Amino acid sequence: MNGVGPRWFVSPWLTIRVQLGLAAVFIFAAVAKIADPPGFAHEISNYKLLSPAAVNPLALWLPWLELILGVCFFLGIYRRTAGRVAAILLIVFIGALSINLKRGRPVDCGCFGTSTKPKTEAERLDDMKLAIVRDVFFLAMTAQLLVARKDDRG
Amino acid sequence: MALIALLCAVVSNALAGPERKLKWTGAYTEPAVRAAAGTAKPAPPAASAASAAQTGSWAPHPDKPWVEVSGADVEALYRRGDVPFLDARRTSAYRDGHIARARPFSVWEAEIDDKVKAFFGEGHDPSGVIVVYCSGGDCEDSHTLGQKLYMAGFDNVLVYKDGFPDWEKRGLPVTKGDKP
Repeated sequence: MNGVGPRWFVSPWLTIRVQLGLAAVFIFAAVAKIADPPGFAHEISNYKLLSPAAVNPLALWLPWLELILGVCFFLGIYRRTAGRVAAILLIVFIGALSINLKRGRPVDCGCFGTSTKPKTEAERLDDMKLAIVRDVFFLAMTAQLLVARKDDRG
Repeated sequence: MALIALLCAVVSNALAGPERKLKWTGAYTEPAVRAAAGTAKPAPPAASAASAAQTGSWAPHPDKPWVEVSGADVEALYRRGDVPFLDARRTSAYRDGHIARARPFSVWEAEIDDKVKAFFGEGHDPSGVIVVYCSGGDCEDSHTLGQKLYMAGFDNVLVYKDGFPDWEKRGLPVTKGDKP
């Protein structure tokens, strides 16, 4: 056995699928944001969690970090490092959504680019809950990568 | 990884067109007041707002960056024909439809500060009414634009609170495309 945890959870069969799944998620999320940095800056600003001075640099830098993570997952290079960074990002995203959900402040997730469809407050709050569940699932995927293949030095 | 991402971001932003470019230092500004101003938080519109719009007697408010006004006020101001309308939404949204005669002033695009300076340079009366709008609801882009105009020296910025969706609901003139 190459990793810790149940055999099915650390199997190479699952690992390769998780890796490709995360690659698709991160590349898709990154490309949508890279295509529209002002839109992503707007979404970040709506969260009301950062200093205004930090919004634009983050909107420019974060999508490229996501793209690099996606490429690492796709090519199978630096998988464990990419997995750790992805897990940190997902925890931050879950935290940001949870704080605004607790505030009762409906925000567009901005996870996969800018939303163009007008939504009601209730729809946005529902979308936020769904985004948290989705991010927890992605976090479980990164956990799979981290516990499987302990021999992988990437 | 972080450094490579930063390098990619720098190159990508340097090569981006005006609609995609973002200032590293930030286009967004928190509400603030000019040195001489006294009140930080703008007040809601006065009760006599509608009649003020109809008579064209909007008074400048140098102590407040902007004042929120209703759709009825904005309609009356529009019919005056001499009030500049500025659209704070993204250029793509502007292109899909905007208030006829409104000019694109997206607060999230890198050129916004230059546009505000150029607008001031056009010789508009600093005490004259300017209407700014975005998408209504919780959209704050029009307030951000109002703040920028105020900091540039305009004392009579009115924020159309319910924004473009309200304008469309009222069946008022809308234009599509890049031009006002």
